[in-house]
This record gives sequence, structure tokens and C-alpha cells, in this order.
Amino acid sequence: MEYNQKIEEALSIIWEEREKKIYDKGAIIKRFLESMSEDLSGALLNEGYVAIEKDTVKLTDKGEPKARDIIRRQRLAERLLMDVLEVGRKEVDSSACAIEHILSKEVEESICTLLGHPKECPHGLSIPAGACCEKAKGLIESIVIPLTRLKIAETGKIVYVLTRGHPQLHRLMSFGIVPGARIKLHQTQPSVIIQVEETQVALEEEIAKEIYVKKIS
Amino acid sequence: MNIILVGNANVGKSVIFNALTRRYVTVSNYPGTTVDISKGITKINDNNFTVYDTPGINSLVVHSEDEKVTRDILSKSDIACVVQVADSKSLKRSLVLTLELIELGLPLVLNLNMSDEARERGISIDVKKLSQKLGIEIVETVAVTGEGIPKLREAISKVKAALSLNALYAGSSDEIISLRKKNQIIEKLLRDVLRISKPKAKSASEFIGALTVSPVSGIPILIAVLLVMYLFVGRFAAVWGVDFFEHTLFGGYINPFFSNIINKFIPIPIVKDFLMGEYGIISMAVTYAFAIIFPIVTAFFLFFGILEDSGYLPRLSVLSDKVFRVIGLNGRAILPMVLGLGCGTMATLTSRILETKKERILVSLILTLAIPCSAQLGVIMAMLSQFSLKAFLLWFSTILLVIVTIGFLASRLVPGKRSPFIQELPPMRFPQIANIIVKTGARLKWYLKEAVPLFVLGTFVLFVSDKIGLLSLIERALSPFIVVWLHLPKETTAAFIIGFLRRDYGAAGLYALARAGALDKIQIFVSLIVITLFVPCIAQFFVTVKERGLKVALMIAGFVFLFAFLAGGLINHLLRYLILVKGIAVL
Repeated sequence: MEYNQKIEEALSIIWEEREKKIYDKGAIIKRFLESMSEDLSGALLNEGYVAIEKDTVKLTDKGEPKARDIIRRQRLAERLLMDVLEVGRKEVDSSACAIEHILSKEVEESICTLLGHPKECPHGLSIPAGACCEKAKGLIESIVIPLTRLKIAETGKIVYVLTRGHPQLHRLMSFGIVPGARIKLHQTQPSVIIQVEETQVALEEEIAKEIYVKKIS
Repeated sequence: MNIILVGNANVGKSVIFNALTRRYVTVSNYPGTTVDISKGITKINDNNFTVYDTPGINSLVVHSEDEKVTRDILSKSDIACVVQVADSKSLKRSLVLTLELIELGLPLVLNLNMSDEARERGISIDVKKLSQKLGIEIVETVAVTGEGIPKLREAISKVKAALSLNALYAGSSDEIISLRKKNQIIEKLLRDVLRISKPKAKSASEFIGALTVSPVSGIPILIAVLLVMYLFVGRFAAVWGVDFFEHTLFGGYINPFFSNIINKFIPIPIVKDFLMGEYGIISMAVTYAFAIIFPIVTAFFLFFGILEDSGYLPRLSVLSDKVFRVIGLNGRAILPMVLGLGCGTMATLTSRILETKKERILVSLILTLAIPCSAQLGVIMAMLSQFSLKAFLLWFSTILLVIVTIGFLASRLVPGKRSPFIQELPPMRFPQIANIIVKTGARLKWYLKEAVPLFVLGTFVLFVSDKIGLLSLIERALSPFIVVWLHLPKETTAAFIIGFLRRDYGAAGLYALARAGALDKIQIFVSLIVITLFVPCIAQFFVTVKERGLKVALMIAGFVFLFAFLAGGLINHLLRYLILVKGIAVL
């Protein structure tokens, strides 16, 4: 691993630990050693990406956006591999790690747009919003949209289903609501009603919003 | 040897069960009709088999209690054959379960049911090819008409243990195959065996189905359905039917006939009293059961059966989801509630279709508190319809208000979570007259078997209490509540006492008093509110104990008892205040 990649990897570790509310220097260094067998805290300090106060590791103003970018690219890559290319979970984790380091800003934004500016990675962790997400808010019709943004009587192909609770996901799957299935929207009020094959299912809006589809004209 | 019927919800397992065993278990057009295992015997090639009907499951991975019941029975030993009943229209969904069943290595027959509906929609399945690929016997049936049942029997008798799935799963590592992978395998299978010929036009069933759930037409249709029920049960059956049974049949022939015989042949006054007196077995128990309640429940079960089989009931969950959210539930809760209008005991069992413990407790509470069962509802409609539709609507809104208020408060108090609303909507179907009649017959038989003994017991208790003076003692002891707080005549005490056994019996007692002119309008209204909210009948209480535990059941019953009298009294004083002080006659 070259130096730059190591720095990026280290920053993403700090971000992930922060999501778990872990700021302790010792714990973070332990994670560095586990994943790269090298303590990078010194290098990060030298680059000015982190500050360490009383054993607490904090991202600096310079480190924060860089870490955010790398996390964003990593999680977008995971979504892309999993939902569009339908790669298995194990390979996703290893490939996404490699891809994140080589994505350019431009490619990153097109992936994000293709996926409909997703908010969560396949593991359920949040994807930091990018500039394109802000721009896309309601303006540009992205290719992958939540089911509820289809018009009534339109059909979409399911791209992915956000994995909030396992039982719900399983239930949806057992009705045939799985990536690749064609889904027709019948109504949105008072409850969302969709049709998959010959099965009609009523859903509350919160669940319907988590089903992302690609419109079929 | 055992035969186990399994399959997705609402595919017709119970119809197949009835066809195989010639027994009758309730069949309806919505998922969740069967919540418990039914057993029956069938004979195939001179061998006796025990057939098990099971609640519907989508997968062997279990998420709710009714699904667990099914999975558990599959681990039974001595399984001669598992018959997976599947909806031919939704082959893809069914195959998910098929693969899981084959993985279990049990002898399996796949039964593609409702093949007529699939044909109508232009879906044709290459059964031979599918059978080859899966390595199991496949039989097409239309269970409601009996088509294909002999073939199904034959297939069961010849079944062998399922082949392994190695051929299908080729190329995958031998770990457990993921759901995603299974879906890909199924897609591939379907490409080989499924043909969808004509582009389908919207059928009448789909059109009507869409109307019932749309916000614009759904509510008017619901109101129309309720109105028809009110007219049919509350006016036609409860007024005309009861009049005929009570006055013409019982008043004119049966009761005089018995009093004649008794007067002639039984000279002992106490025995005479026991049979024909104020609290007599014939004059009270039999008359209430057959003359008052029987015509009402018959009408209700008929109407309800039609609603069930049309596929309308689960559609109500779409309209009611938002309301149920206020009280910590989701639209699926409408099913146990509506079934509670048939029988609270059965409905308490149906609460198993809800996912979380909190939801089940809330539904049990509301069922106990505010959902009148068929007989009770019919009697209430009959009593109220005698003065005006307005009175009925007022009663209806009061009960609705109680459900929402108590539900809202209880949902804050009971710990736990609401599960999200996901409900399958079965297609609307034209009900099969034969099934409606059989189902109504089965329910009436069950009603008579369950209710009449309790009616007789209740009457006996009243008779004895009356004779030894206990009744007047209780009447005097309760008079601060009944006479002072509720402004009801002390004779109603007897009705409330028998209400402990069955609420409908209590309601029938009130009805008899009202018909005798012993109650004024406000008294009728107040007593009906109290008896509606009153303690559950004994059977429902025991089922609540079984399903929710003794502690929860006692807490519910205790609360409901106090609340019924509290609410009744408040309404009584409010109505009297309005009429005396403000001069407004609400009723």
C-alpha cells in the first residue's frame, strides 16, 4: 500500500470509530495495527489531519473533509457493487476498499447520481452527502428513485431495498419484493399499494420509501 | 403416518384440507384465517393418514407466532408426505418455499392450486418440465370445485423423498444458499417453465378491488357496507326475525306447548318454576338462545361470511392504517378487530398474526373492552334501531371514541414497538354460495355448542340465587352502582350477572327488559354502553389467559370492568344533565 492510500485508510478508520462513539487514542491505534499492521497516528499528526488531546483523537478542519470524502467513496462503491453489479457481500467488502482509492470526484458524482443519491451503505451506515446530492434535491430526476416517487400506474424495476430491519426485509422478499423484480404502483394514499407479479401488497409510506426502483417506460 | 399441508398464506390449504378429510375448517379469502393446526383423517389406498392444516408461511425462517406453529410441525417425526399448496398465479413466490422444503429432504408434493385463476390471466405452467427440474411430483388443482383432488391423492400415495438440489444449485459452494442466490435460481427455472400469453386486461375483480382501497371511493363503500349490515342484521333479522321467532314461534307455539305439558304433568311448583318461571331454563335460557340470539347471529354470520370470502376485509387495513397508528398499531390490526365482531374468542387467537408483543396486548385489550361480538352486536342494533339510526350512530361513535382514547393511552403505557404495515391484498372474488352456507352452518353449530350450555348454566345460577334470596341481596348491594350511579332499574342486575358468562346473554336480558317496556331511552342507551364495554365472556377470558398470560388477562379484565361502569355512569349523567338543565334531548 502506498503512503497516500494508507493515510486514506487511516482516516476512514477514525471516521468509522467516531460513528461508534470511540475517540480513544489507544483503541484507534489498535485498529490501525489490525488492518495495516502499522501505527499511522504520527503520520496523520504530521499531515495535520488529526489533533490529539488527552488521548482523544479528533479530526482537524483539514482532516474532516478528506475523511468524509473517502468514506463517501467507499460506501458508494459498496452500493454500486452490491445493488447494480450484484456482487456478493464478501467480495463487496474487499473490492470496495480498493475502488475507493481510485475514484475521481467526477466518477464519484456519477455513481451517486446513478444510484439516486443513496443515504446508506449496504451495512446500514450513513453515506455523507456530496455536492451532487445537494444539487439533486428535487431538481434532477435521478435514475434510481424511491418507489413513492413513481407516478401512479408506472412500473419500476427494483434496484435495491434499504436494509433497516431484517424481519421487514425478509417479509418483503417473501412477497417477491427483491432487486430485479418489476413493481407497479397502484396508489399512494391512504397507504401505498404495489403489485409484484400477481401479488398485491399494501405498505406504509415509510417502508415504500426504502424500496428504490429504476423507472421502466 | 402424517400428511402436512403447508404453503404461503391464502393459497387454499384449508380448502384442500376439507377436500381430503371431508371435515370442515373455516375457509375465507384473506391471509391469516388459519392460525392454529387442524387435524383430520383421510384414507388413501386403504391406508389411514392424519392430515394437518397449518397457518400460511412465506418461508421457513420464522417471524411471527402463527408461522412458528407451522415450522414446528414440520419437525414432527413420521411424516409420510408434505404437500405444499401453492397459488398458480404466484409461482415465483411459492418456489422460494419449495426450495426450502426440498432442502429439508422430506417427501414433497407440490400442489398448484387455483389453476383456473392462473389460466384466466393467461399464465401457463409447463408442469412436466418443472416437475423434472425440481425432482418432485406436481399436481394442478382447483380445490373449490374439487378438480384435481383425485390426482393429488394419487401423488401423495406415490411420493418419494425429494431429490437433492445439487443439480439446481450446481456452481454454488456448498454453504447455505442465500436468498438472493435462490431468487436467481428461481428466475432461471421460471424462464423455462412459465409462459404468460395474452397481455392482461383489467378484470372486474381488479377494478372493484381498486375502488375499495382508493381514498375517494373506499370510505363511501365502507359506509355502505356498514349500512347494509345494519339494515340486514339490525333491522331485518333483529326486528323481523326476532319478532317471528319470539312472538310467533316461541310465544305462540313452543312456550304455551311446554307450559301446558308442565302444568299438566309436573305438579311440583319449584320444578315448574325451574323450567318455565322468571329464570326458567325454557322460558329464559332456551328462549333467549333460540328466539332472540339465533336469528340475529344467523344473519350476522351469513353477511360476515360473504364479506370474508369476497376478500374485502384485508382491504380495510389500507383505509384504517393511519388511524391504527395513533393507537400504537398498524392496519393489520383491523383483522382481529373485525373478526372480534364475529367472536372475541376467535379474534384473540387471530391476534397472533401481529408481530410484536405490544401489538398483541393492545389488541387483546381493545377486543375485551370495546368490540361487541356478533350476538351482542345484533342485540344492540336491534334495541337501538327501535328508536332511531341516530341512536345507533351515537353508540357507534361513543365506542369508537373509547377505542381511540384508551388505545392511545395504552399504547403510551405498554412498552414495546409498533411494527411497520405490510399487508398482502388477496384478489376480490365472488363468494361461493356453497361455502357461505357451509361456513354459516359450521359457525351456528359451534355457537349453539358453546353458548347454550353457558346460557343454561347462567340461568341455573340465577334461579338458585333467586330462590335462596341471594339475588335480591346482590341487587341491594349493587344498587349504589346500578340504581344510583347508572339510574337503571334493579332488575338489570340479573342481566349484568349473566353478562359475566356471556355478554350476549346479558344483552339479551336487557333486550327482554326493553321489550317489556321497563327501560326508557336513556336507560337503554346507558345499559348498552355498559354491556358493550363490560367484562369479556368466560371463553374469551380463558383464551386471553392462554395467549397473553394470567397477569395481563387479569389486568385487562379488571380495568375493563371498572371502566365500563365509570363510562356508563358519566354518559348517564351527561345525558340527564343535557335534557334536564339544557333541555336538549340527544337521543
